[in-house]
Amino acid sequence: MSFLGFGRPQPTSAEKIAAVENELKVVAEMHSRMVKICTLKCIDKTYREGELAKGEAVCLDRCAAKFFEAHQKISDQLQKETQAQQAGRGGGFGMQ
Amino acid sequence: MDGGLTQAESRELDARIQKRQVKEFMNVFGNLVDNCFTSCVDDFTSKALSGRENGCLSRCVLKSMTTQTRLGERFGELNAAMTAEMQQKMR
Repeated sequence: MSFLGFGRPQPTSAEKIAAVENELKVVAEMHSRMVKICTLKCIDKTYREGELAKGEAVCLDRCAAKFFEAHQKISDQLQKETQAQQAGRGGGFGMQ
Repeated sequence: MDGGLTQAESRELDARIQKRQVKEFMNVFGNLVDNCFTSCVDDFTSKALSGRENGCLSRCVLKSMTTQTRLGERFGELNAAMTAEMQQKMR
């Protein structure tokens, strides 16, 4: 892929490391948000049992799947809206 | 996902990841204490944890750990699927 970076300065070591690190950070953050939210939505807070109830376990699985689906959907929609907005502004009708 | 890093660079990255993991663990631990304390302890007529609170806390820790494991598995699967899909789109 490096030929695509033609004419661009090569990224420095620090930049390359930061890029990979950032990617990992995004994933780690998504993971911890998901755990927090799905625990909140699915787990009974009275803690009368130390084990996951069947219903809670199923709820966690579904919550995880839905969290990803929502993530994908929102990211797609946001991207579309942003593109539409930029296209509108780039149209050059001289409007602010 | 090595991103074309040299050996020195990937050693530096590993060191950073390790630091992050320590921080991450402290975070998970902190959240666990906060969550279990909030859910289990609400009686302040005594300064010692009651038997009921003690039991609740241990059940809370147990359950949270199972929850973490289960969600970790799902997260791994879903994230792998999402990454594969994104890579396919890029081609």
